[in-house]
Amino acid sequence: MGKYILKRLGYMAIVLLILSFLMFFVYSLIPYDRAVAEAEPYRKGLKTTENAAELYQAKVEELRRELGTDQNVVVRYLGWIGLAPINGKYNGILQGNLGYSYSFDRSAREVLADPLKNTVFINIFATFLGLGITIPLGIFCAVHRGSKRDTAVQIGTIIGYSIPGFIISIVFIWIFAILLKWFPVSGMKTPGSSYTGLAELKDRLYYMALPLIVMTFSSLGGMTRYVRASMSEALSLDCIRTARAKGLVEKTVIYSHAFRNALIPIITLVIGWFIGIFSGSIVIENIFGLNGVGRIYILSLNSKDFEVVLLLQMFYVILGLLGNLIVDIAYGLADPRVRVNK
Amino acid sequence: MSEKKASSRKGPAPLRWLRRMFFGGSKELTLADERFDSPGKLAVKRFFRNPLATGAVIILAGMFLFVFIGSAIAPVNLTETGSEMLHTNMAPTRSLMKLPDGMKDGVVDISSKGTFTIGVDTDGKVSMWGQYVNISGDPARDVMNIPEEVKDSRVVHVAAGSDHCVAITEDGRVIAWGEYDNGQYGHEGSMIAAARKQPEELMDGGTIDASQVRQLICGNQVTAILMEDGTIYAWGNDGLSATNLSSVIKHGKKESPLVKLTFTNDGIYGIDENGDFVCGKSTKYNIISVPDESGRSVSTDLFEYIGNRKVVDIAASGNALALVLDDGEIVVSGMKEPQPQLPEGENALTVSGGTRHFVLTTDQGRVYAWGQNYRNQCEIPKALTEEGAVDKVYASGFQNYAFKDGKFVDCWGLKGYLMGTDDMGRDVFNRIMNGGKMTMTVGAVAVIVSTIIGILIGCISGYFGGAVDMLLMRLTEIVGAIPFLPFALCLSAIFQASDIHEDTRIVIIMLILGVLSWTGLARLVRGQILAEREKEFVTAARSMGVKEGRIAFRHILPNIVSVILVTVTLDFASCMLTESSLSYLGFGVQLPRPTWGNMLDGSRSALVIQSFWWRWVFPALFLSVVVICINIIGDTLRDVLDPKSVEKT
Repeated sequence: MGKYILKRLGYMAIVLLILSFLMFFVYSLIPYDRAVAEAEPYRKGLKTTENAAELYQAKVEELRRELGTDQNVVVRYLGWIGLAPINGKYNGILQGNLGYSYSFDRSAREVLADPLKNTVFINIFATFLGLGITIPLGIFCAVHRGSKRDTAVQIGTIIGYSIPGFIISIVFIWIFAILLKWFPVSGMKTPGSSYTGLAELKDRLYYMALPLIVMTFSSLGGMTRYVRASMSEALSLDCIRTARAKGLVEKTVIYSHAFRNALIPIITLVIGWFIGIFSGSIVIENIFGLNGVGRIYILSLNSKDFEVVLLLQMFYVILGLLGNLIVDIAYGLADPRVRVNK
Repeated sequence: MSEKKASSRKGPAPLRWLRRMFFGGSKELTLADERFDSPGKLAVKRFFRNPLATGAVIILAGMFLFVFIGSAIAPVNLTETGSEMLHTNMAPTRSLMKLPDGMKDGVVDISSKGTFTIGVDTDGKVSMWGQYVNISGDPARDVMNIPEEVKDSRVVHVAAGSDHCVAITEDGRVIAWGEYDNGQYGHEGSMIAAARKQPEELMDGGTIDASQVRQLICGNQVTAILMEDGTIYAWGNDGLSATNLSSVIKHGKKESPLVKLTFTNDGIYGIDENGDFVCGKSTKYNIISVPDESGRSVSTDLFEYIGNRKVVDIAASGNALALVLDDGEIVVSGMKEPQPQLPEGENALTVSGGTRHFVLTTDQGRVYAWGQNYRNQCEIPKALTEEGAVDKVYASGFQNYAFKDGKFVDCWGLKGYLMGTDDMGRDVFNRIMNGGKMTMTVGAVAVIVSTIIGILIGCISGYFGGAVDMLLMRLTEIVGAIPFLPFALCLSAIFQASDIHEDTRIVIIMLILGVLSWTGLARLVRGQILAEREKEFVTAARSMGVKEGRIAFRHILPNIVSVILVTVTLDFASCMLTESSLSYLGFGVQLPRPTWGNMLDGSRSALVIQSFWWRWVFPALFLSVVVICINIIGDTLRDVLDPKSVEKT
């Protein structure tokens, strides 16, 4: 098992390298010169000076050298990782320098620390909330397969996963924030408030409630269908027939025997789903104005703050790769028939 | 047996499907039928026996036709005529041209600038129709609330500005209502300092001699009363809506009294007693272009062109002027659409201006209209172009009402917007049709791209195995590890930053979506091929010497087409959703080009969600219904194509 994980981690690192280079390369294609942007105030100061054009050009060249943008893309990439010197010194990710946000004028690490906490908080909360609803609902549908209630849930779930998150958000804002006035329309905390302790948590939950409801709701449809499908497959297994023939209580048959068998595909999906939620929260965070990484991502894209974008992009990739690994390992743990250490 | 079969096959196929949908098929006959049917036919039959799926197919087909035929008939107008700043955020309505019945027998005046119209009939009763978007929600500012004072009195003159109305009663009271922030009332409210105040004699309930009022007119936020003796009472936001007001009044006092006045969006113009055109210090319309002998248009000075001739009528649209000269010629300044050429012997009599067009009546009782026609302002009903059909036309705003001998004849122009308008005054209904076309096209192309890549890679990988398989599957994994939405966002941002044409960008977005979403299909195809590869027919083909590539693509692929079909259907839905999400976030198709995603762009604020519901309900509804239908179809396809599912629904 340990060997398998090591092997997979090694493979992950290779994929990560390839993907990171690919993305770095893509970003280098953007016709945007940081040095020119940085030299702009300098150029304005030069307005009246003689040979302003030459001085400005020299300044741009100097800045390019400093930023390393005069090098070719491979060197810059190695410099970004920390394997090649940029402007004479090694200062890359391996040295702990995650990049610099020009629009926030702070290091990328500082910019992302708080939003990341928020995003992870929302996502984990939404995942648990979603699981708490979808698993019982899916099991219920599988057990009562073909009944009227099952059909109703099926139609509901098709509608649920067909409607994109932003439409669900708008509808929920309309219902809960505008018509019923239960929750605020957007924001992170009551403006001007300085609660601490329990009051702060309460205030935070009050503001997060609507986005959480939306995120949970928009992920219900797909997950319920998966749980139902795998559960009804499990219920048609021979072992279930045997268990029933043995005279076991129906509850034991469903929750102990069938559910364990149904768990295997569910595990795979929960992980994939968790990662999908991270992508989905980009939209939700933007609508509700939550200070999460998804919002920072869009802000940075709009302000051409590409070091932050690149970092977040890598964050999403690592999340995806880690998810795959965890799925494979969890698969082995849940299903004794699967041997992962091949 | 054969007879029975024949009887069950009455009518063309869709009819039979419909019949089966509503009345159900005969169990016995269909069972007998199925024994003779290929799996494909069987699947189709089973598909259409599911009422939900049949309904979804019908709705989806309807949507397709609506979107593609509709957008072909009414293509989206991305130029400035497509948006109308006077019509922003209008609720769905078709009543903008609904002349009240009471006014059809006799009308004194009809006036409108934008969305609402005011009229007064010969009995002195004031009516208003149309719509006013009252953003403040304050009923005191709602111009559609006619004050009791006006309702109870006999009114002789009315006029409408862009957000206020003015009425003069028989006993000479001048009453204004509607918005007041910019000095529209001339005396009260929180008016801006720059606004011109009402003259002393009108302040605080002062009256004028109503029988001596020649004309009451409103500009956007200004009002002017012209008396028979040439006196002008004017007030309002002249700094913005009538910059030359003072100089025109001065002309009336110093040189020659005026006999007719008219407002454009930013100026006031008139005719004086000598039949001269009066423009005060504004020179905006002094250069006109007229065709010379060879037909080319040349610029000439307006006053030189008029020469000694007299101006008998004047009308203004938002930013153009039309003058009728005493020899029946029309001179237009500031409008790029050409004026109509009257037939020999027919002379212009009067001209009146809407917001973006002019209407002309001639001495033979015919009507001509020219100017912007995007909102049907110039679509004159055929009957009115006959000789002697009309003697008076009120062109007001975007509507026209034609009268003959004081009786209403017909009206034409903008009825309203079926699904309202957005914040730029664009027709939501039109944008839904065109946006749907864009969303569906992007989704379809993306899915075609991803299907081609997915099938190719899946087939090659599954059939050839070995190192090729290894390599391609690693590639699939890498692409699959790329987080979809973030990467699509960033790619699209990159192409946004580089300076390329909008059409190219849309093609690139389609490709991005396709290139990022093939991995699932490739894995599926590979898995299916691995299973099929071991079957006897492949061994048989191989032993007959069929080439490997031919076996993979011609023998095995058709066997897994059903699985592919299901995935492609579901992928189509998800590609449409991704496109919408991208456009919604501002990284897909850019405004002003509509898609169902970016139409929801402005709908984040509570104001829009609550007050301008039509801006998000309609696009959201259309997008959701289409995606739900596609998903239902895909799900049903999966059920009926799955050889394992034996249940007969």
